[in-house]
Amino acid sequence: MNLPRLYHRLRLTARSLHSSANGQQVEKVAVAVDPDVPSQVSVFRTSENDPTCHTELHAGQYYTLPPAHMRTLFPHGLPPRFQMQMKTFNEACVMVRQPALELITCLRKADYSEPALRYVLYGEKGCGKTLSLCHVLHFCSTQGWLVLHIPDAHLWVKNCRELLPSSSRPGRFDQPIQALNWLKNFKTTNEHFLSKIKTTQRYVWTKRESTEEGRPLGELVDQGVSRVKSSSDVVGALLRELRLQAGGAAEGAFRLAVAVDGVNALWGKTTLKKEDKSEVLPEELTLIHNLRKMLRNDWCGGAILTTLSQTGSLFKPRSAYLPMELLGEEGFDNMDPFVPIPVSNYSDKEFESCYLYYLDRNWLQHPHSRTEDGKKELIFLSSRNPSILERLCAFL
Amino acid sequence: MAIYQDSIRVQDCFGTLHKRAGPSPPAVSFPVGRAAYSLGLTASNGVERQGLPERGNQGQRRQRRAVEPRTERMTVDQDWTAVYPTAASFKPNSVPLPVRMGYPVKRGVPPAKKGNLELIKIPNFLHLTPEAIKKHCEALKPFCTEWPAALDSDAKCEEHFPIQVESKAYVSAGPSLRNPNARIITLTVKLSSLNLDEHARKKLIRLSGERYNKDTDTLTITTDSCPMKQQNYDYAMYLLTVLYHESWKTEAWEKEKTRADMEEYVWEDSPSQKNILETLLRMRPLGEKEEEGEVREELLGRVEVQEYKDSVTKLKNEGETETNMQQYKEAVKKLLNI
Repeated sequence: MNLPRLYHRLRLTARSLHSSANGQQVEKVAVAVDPDVPSQVSVFRTSENDPTCHTELHAGQYYTLPPAHMRTLFPHGLPPRFQMQMKTFNEACVMVRQPALELITCLRKADYSEPALRYVLYGEKGCGKTLSLCHVLHFCSTQGWLVLHIPDAHLWVKNCRELLPSSSRPGRFDQPIQALNWLKNFKTTNEHFLSKIKTTQRYVWTKRESTEEGRPLGELVDQGVSRVKSSSDVVGALLRELRLQAGGAAEGAFRLAVAVDGVNALWGKTTLKKEDKSEVLPEELTLIHNLRKMLRNDWCGGAILTTLSQTGSLFKPRSAYLPMELLGEEGFDNMDPFVPIPVSNYSDKEFESCYLYYLDRNWLQHPHSRTEDGKKELIFLSSRNPSILERLCAFL
Repeated sequence: MAIYQDSIRVQDCFGTLHKRAGPSPPAVSFPVGRAAYSLGLTASNGVERQGLPERGNQGQRRQRRAVEPRTERMTVDQDWTAVYPTAASFKPNSVPLPVRMGYPVKRGVPPAKKGNLELIKIPNFLHLTPEAIKKHCEALKPFCTEWPAALDSDAKCEEHFPIQVESKAYVSAGPSLRNPNARIITLTVKLSSLNLDEHARKKLIRLSGERYNKDTDTLTITTDSCPMKQQNYDYAMYLLTVLYHESWKTEAWEKEKTRADMEEYVWEDSPSQKNILETLLRMRPLGEKEEEGEVREELLGRVEVQEYKDSVTKLKNEGETETNMQQYKEAVKKLLNI
């Protein structure tokens, strides 16, 4: 690939961008202008920012997440390195990749009167599972679904300072801080739903506080945010309500997307200890218990999207990435039947896209990285793994 | 003069050079070969000294004359078994190979064979060349009987003689002829040649523990607890008999075998089966006249469910691989109409 030739072609396509209006046409014109050039060289960005319209044509290209939605959609969902990249580049660009496209097609075609389907994204460390999940969640929210996003289930089974014995059930433990944080983020994401959905049951928190039947969900969430002690129970009640009301035939019907990143935390071990130094099992934690109930496919009107993650996991070897290795016997039996979707390292085209994107953003400062040899070195060093490539390029 | 002549004769007889006080007689008349046989007390540096040394050295030992090594006189088609008939240490002058061994000397190469202690220390098999082995076999042949002509393949040997017993006999010259290692007996048998049903086979494998090899399906019993070979052999046969008969029996407590004890994954009555049935029932709720049992049977009989069952069993029994996962994915997709 000859770099001067590349820039010349990019300028050509930029000119054709000005001449035509529709984003779709641009790609076709660009391809028509350079028929002999392989598609790798053509535009690595697409102007199609609506995930509903993403198809195979856009595979390997970057689309921009609209900044207005960013705060509401992903208050806590994006991986930390991606957030840093967003701040540096002043834009959030996500690559359209095959696993996410597959998932979106499945979601489009699914029948929502049947029990919720479970999808598990699995793959090696750093190959893009969390970002694919975020892409799909963007799609869900543009379709008007209610998004229940647990950014990292591992955070709920480790490093918990305050572990209170549950007020409602003996033998269970509450995690007020984690529940509080999650409720706040949930509120930010789904403001518009909170006033529409009503509770179906009376919930009693303490002797003096209760939430009556028929109150909007917003009140439930506020209860949890203000009274920190009962926040875990509020989360449980919230999940129950959503489960019962998703996909109903009523006019206020909504579709529910349950997204859990690092779902293998629910069936693994915890590092939390009780006062007598014995280990806390995951099912003894209120949050985990309620989440497990949510992941069962006994409700309809939505989908369950999960990712496996070795990164935050406890007591799992670094090389484990297949579903059964990370979920364990119990986890597999609980999640069965699910649709496993493998996420792999970048293909040639995707790597090309990523490289051009970094060049475009002037992220690769080192002069050698702009040469053909430098590119080959990058391929070799990162073996096309997205996160390793990103960390390598950060040094350059 | 007579005294000197006597002393010369003495030396002729014994061929040894003794230290003699006084002037040594002239050595001119001594043949060169004489010096080769003499193991002089002086350290030999292989210095070629002809004739004169004795004259000049007062009280000095006679230097040993270096001779060409035996290797120079070896022909290419010689009989090697005569050079090394038995196990012997490495003799650099008898082995005509330019062998080098050891840590390289400063400027490059490992030291040569002459005077190389490393080569002498290590065991060598110069006495066991194929020629030598052939000769050993020829020598042993008169003591052997003929191999039965009917057993001309391994399969036939397996079929007629499924139990194989190995023992070693040791011959050595020493203070005692006995060797305690001769009492060890190893008995190998393939389980496929034994008459076992499913339960008996699993029980036998569990009872034998470490002694069973899954890849070759062989049970190996090694006995050495008795002092005599015959006793050990009887003990090994006894163990085999006991294992066989015990594995056919079913004890009362074997009924309590749980899923966790099972050797391999069985799909029936597993959580996977329950899950899939529940899911399918939810997808297609029960009609009024249909009974749950019938519906279950019908659902289980469907092709997609069978495929799903195969893929899950494969995943659990054979472990996870990408292909297994793909198969599972296809089966789930078909089953849930994606």
